Amino acid sequence: MKPRFFLVALALCGALAPFSAARATGLATCDSGSRESWQPQAKLSAILKDRGWQVRRIKEDGGCYEVYALNEKGERVEAYFHPRTLAPVPTGSKDHKG
Amino acid sequence: MSAGVRVWDPLLRIAHWTLVASILAAWITAELKLDAAKRAHEWVGYAALAVIALRLAWGWIGPRYARFRQFVRSPAATLSYARAVLAHAEARYIGHNPLGGWAVVALIAMVAAAGLSGWLSVTDRFWGVTWVQELHEALGNALYFLVGLHLAGVAFTSWRHRENLVRAMLTGRKQAPRPGDVD
Repeated sequence: MKPRFFLVALALCGALAPFSAARATGLATCDSGSRESWQPQAKLSAILKDRGWQVRRIKEDGGCYEVYALNEKGERVEAYFHPRTLAPVPTGSKDHKG
Repeated sequence: MSAGVRVWDPLLRIAHWTLVASILAAWITAELKLDAAKRAHEWVGYAALAVIALRLAWGWIGPRYARFRQFVRSPAATLSYARAVLAHAEARYIGHNPLGGWAVVALIAMVAAAGLSGWLSVTDRFWGVTWVQELHEALGNALYFLVGLHLAGVAFTSWRHRENLVRAMLTGRKQAPRPGDVD
């Protein structure tokens, strides 16, 4: 009886775990090749700051640089940039301006 | 109308299944790689927080079996119930059993924490702040884990007392009290 309870509990947790571990990978992908050819995040950050953005976080997502920032109007933006060209990558979004 | 006793009131049941739908929708919209899904995820979170607020109020002013006072038992009582479960000698409870009662409390707290951290993560102040994003994700995962435990507890208790507790949460009715049951 006891083992059965724990088996059921384990099975259910086990069944849910892979889904919770799977991470949303975001809104865009970049064909950005090897990392040596990438420009540094600091450069992207500097460019955006010059534009009046308050950069909060830059991370890699789908081969792109994903930027969380407040733009020059103080709006929250989640924008994607190509790590080699630092050009904005469209996400098909009107709320998260690139 | 089947024989038995009315336990779960309509508002409690609506709150329960709305929360089920919210958590399911939050999970799906978190996994989808669509911008629209991100916005839906936000609104699902607000809906879940609203349900939690309602459930908290109901825990004070609602009918008997909805009240926290009725089903939140002391740690000692909960431990002794857990021991009885392991000894295969636990009583049937008309409302929540002590472990189930704590599952309710934990689930409410976790939905609130996940919802509030998500809300924080879309404020200007905390937008893009790494620890807020990571906290929200961790709380979401902890919530899925609790849901798994809750489902296991429901399955186990249903089997132990030969009573379909999922149906009880749909109809509001449970089997009539038997000798030895705890009200």
